Amino acid sequence: MGTKEWKFRENRNLRTAATFSIKRVLDDVNRNLDRSDGRPIIPLSHGDPSSFSCFRTTQVAEDAVVDALRSAKFNGYAPKGGALQARRSIAEYLSRNLPYKLSPDDVYVTLGAKQAIEVVLSALSRPGANILLPRPGYPVYEAHAVLNHLEVRHFDLLQEKDWEVDLNGLETLVDDKTVAMVIINPGNPCGNVFTRDHLQKIAETARRMGILVIADEAYAHLTFGSNSYVSMGVFGNLAPVLTLGTLSKRWLVPGWRLGWIARSDPDGIFEEHGVVECIKRSLITNTEAATFIQAAVPQILENTTDDFFVQTINILQEDADMCYKWLKDIPCFTCLQKPQGSLFLMVKLDFSQLQGINDDMDFCSKLAKEESVLLLPGFVLGLKNWIRVTFAIEPSALEEGLARIKAFCMRHANKQ
Amino acid sequence: MENGSTLKKKWGFQPNPELNTASEITIRGVLEMLISNLNQSDVRHVIPLGHGDPSAFPCFRTTQIAEDAIVDAVRSAKFNGYSPTVGVLPARRAVAEYLSQRLPNKLSPDDVFLTVGCIQAIQTIITVLANSKANILLPRPGFPYYEAVAQSCHLEARHFDLLPDKDWEVDLDAVEALADENTVAMVIINPGNPCGNVFTYQHLQKVAETAKKLGILVISDEVYDHITFGKNPFVPMGVFGSFTPVVTLGSISKRWIVPGWRLGWLVINDPNGILKEHGIIECITGYLNISCDPPTFIQGAVSDILGKTQDDFFAKIVNLIKEDANTCYEGIKDIPGIICPSKPAGSMFVMVKLDLSAFEDIEDDLEFCVKLVKEESLIILPGVVVGLKNWIRITYAIEPSYLQDGIKRLKAFCERHSKKA
Repeated sequence: MGTKEWKFRENRNLRTAATFSIKRVLDDVNRNLDRSDGRPIIPLSHGDPSSFSCFRTTQVAEDAVVDALRSAKFNGYAPKGGALQARRSIAEYLSRNLPYKLSPDDVYVTLGAKQAIEVVLSALSRPGANILLPRPGYPVYEAHAVLNHLEVRHFDLLQEKDWEVDLNGLETLVDDKTVAMVIINPGNPCGNVFTRDHLQKIAETARRMGILVIADEAYAHLTFGSNSYVSMGVFGNLAPVLTLGTLSKRWLVPGWRLGWIARSDPDGIFEEHGVVECIKRSLITNTEAATFIQAAVPQILENTTDDFFVQTINILQEDADMCYKWLKDIPCFTCLQKPQGSLFLMVKLDFSQLQGINDDMDFCSKLAKEESVLLLPGFVLGLKNWIRVTFAIEPSALEEGLARIKAFCMRHANKQ
Repeated sequence: MENGSTLKKKWGFQPNPELNTASEITIRGVLEMLISNLNQSDVRHVIPLGHGDPSAFPCFRTTQIAEDAIVDAVRSAKFNGYSPTVGVLPARRAVAEYLSQRLPNKLSPDDVFLTVGCIQAIQTIITVLANSKANILLPRPGFPYYEAVAQSCHLEARHFDLLPDKDWEVDLDAVEALADENTVAMVIINPGNPCGNVFTYQHLQKVAETAKKLGILVISDEVYDHITFGKNPFVPMGVFGSFTPVVTLGSISKRWIVPGWRLGWLVINDPNGILKEHGIIECITGYLNISCDPPTFIQGAVSDILGKTQDDFFAKIVNLIKEDANTCYEGIKDIPGIICPSKPAGSMFVMVKLDLSAFEDIEDDLEFCVKLVKEESLIILPGVVVGLKNWIRITYAIEPSYLQDGIKRLKAFCERHSKKA
């Protein structure tokens, strides 16, 4: 029987979109691990501290989910856009950091912040449109921009200015087909926290250019430096903001998949311009968060006590300080900034201090192989030959990891 | 900040014109519209025969084993982190074993991709197959989510009929006539939503032969697997996987009555590796890599849910639905103006035809359902939403006494609106 000709083919556009994936790059890095190395693997490569017992979520959250499940009242479908109770409590929670009150109708529940990104980008896409993304950034934005045929244009974050947005550069990118700009604050991957002034300037710039701001605040409240967290929604009267958030980071439960989109738009511009309708339509073609997890949200948001949050911040601060101190002393790392928030920092490789290492991917692959330490090569975030370091793990494990990194760098140091 | 500016600010963003037409009519959208027409002063219970979700009724409560499995997973604190893209291995292994019970070729965990409900499984396979100029063949009547996703990824949808006079079998001649060099796949839903039919082995074999002849993939939506109570047993399309490649979509939602838990799967039935050769497997992984996953602790519970649920739970649920199907079918026989061409044999639904000539003042299915909601607080889905105008889809899978009440109200309504002889 001759060669059968099958007519199905893979989606070429999706194939391109799928290259923008941290997971994919980490799978490649992980493949270098030496399985015969008896030492524990130290994962400084992704933002998920939950496997460490010091980062266990609060009992309040666990109880809330179990209670909701056991009630047997939440086994059915939730309304599209999210259960009212969940939306109401998220609106109240977010309003604590805003000068105006959000209503439940301003909030959409999503499957984590990742789905919030999927829904928003799909809602905003239209033929010929472009979107402004930060570099370095978070590749899920690039992936879904490509998938939705949105042209991506990158503006820089300026390392020498605490990773602030290059506003002048931004303005040169905008044209009449630009729909939005994305900021991530507190910053992934840079670990920076924007000042209130800077956020205001961003809002004023967006207003001048007639574009909306997508404020990715997945790491809201995870700050431990001198800049405190300010929600971009505070400037929602200057430029309309879609704020993306989640339980994942503050409650250390990225596996629970509970996030939201909030419209911080007191002047109702989204409604006027049909964006609200588009978000609703986009929600229709997407699946949704588990109903009983949605039902647990009010208890989680309202009953978690401050001591849980304080405890998390304290460990993060200890980790951040430790990481900064160690990396500062390693000659092949440059452009190091003290992290102010989130779980990460970015550091640049100085190849004049290394030998036998070709680029960021090579560095991370060899480090995985020789020391069983995992770091993320920066090329997937838009900055080749930089590295993203996750410091948010159990402090003694972090210390072990940093010691091994130092040993690796010394071993590969340029002898001349 | 500009204050009191009289110039209307020009904003660059605008709605996506395509998204506005995608899924203009969806099941949930129409049900919400019907609910908004309820007469608030009617003190009687609202009877929901419009959607496939019996979980609100105590007699349909899921098995304790499933609840315990989730609670154990949450309390272990081992599943709060990210899961691998394709799903945690024990869950994938459990799904592979569960499905392999009825297949000649054993599935491996690598053939299984966990998704957020069957909905995301559909979204995944449709997106993966989309390319400019490609088209996909969908059943009519069908499940409108397929049309919505196809439209949003620019995959042209073409429809073949299911034949009411032949127990809703696929019109295979129509499939052949519709297919061209750009057709990539055909979708079947078995057990059938909305028709309540269950395909025979012989018919599925013909579907497989047709697909192979045309060089297209069969996507078999088996979300209602095992919910059969007629003469045809459930046969998974995957039994033909070595003959022609099949992608099976399913979930725990229907068999365990937990649609709100959002745990489904996309499974590859293709021992000859044809899909892999054509880059489809890599593309599926790529899509799931950039998309959201099911909550990790729910994945962590899958192994226990699939492995430990007792047969008597399944038997209880199927018997309830069977009793309901019977009540519905027998009851409809006595109702003027509506005709049920075939007895439901599976799933939770049946398609029923309206004889509009028998009614005084009803022009179409939409009007029928709106008036029914207003006058009898009874919700039924107008068939136009699933592709068959002037038919209605009845969900019988609810608490039996509610169903009996519902059938009575349906009868009263039809009699009231019948043309006087």
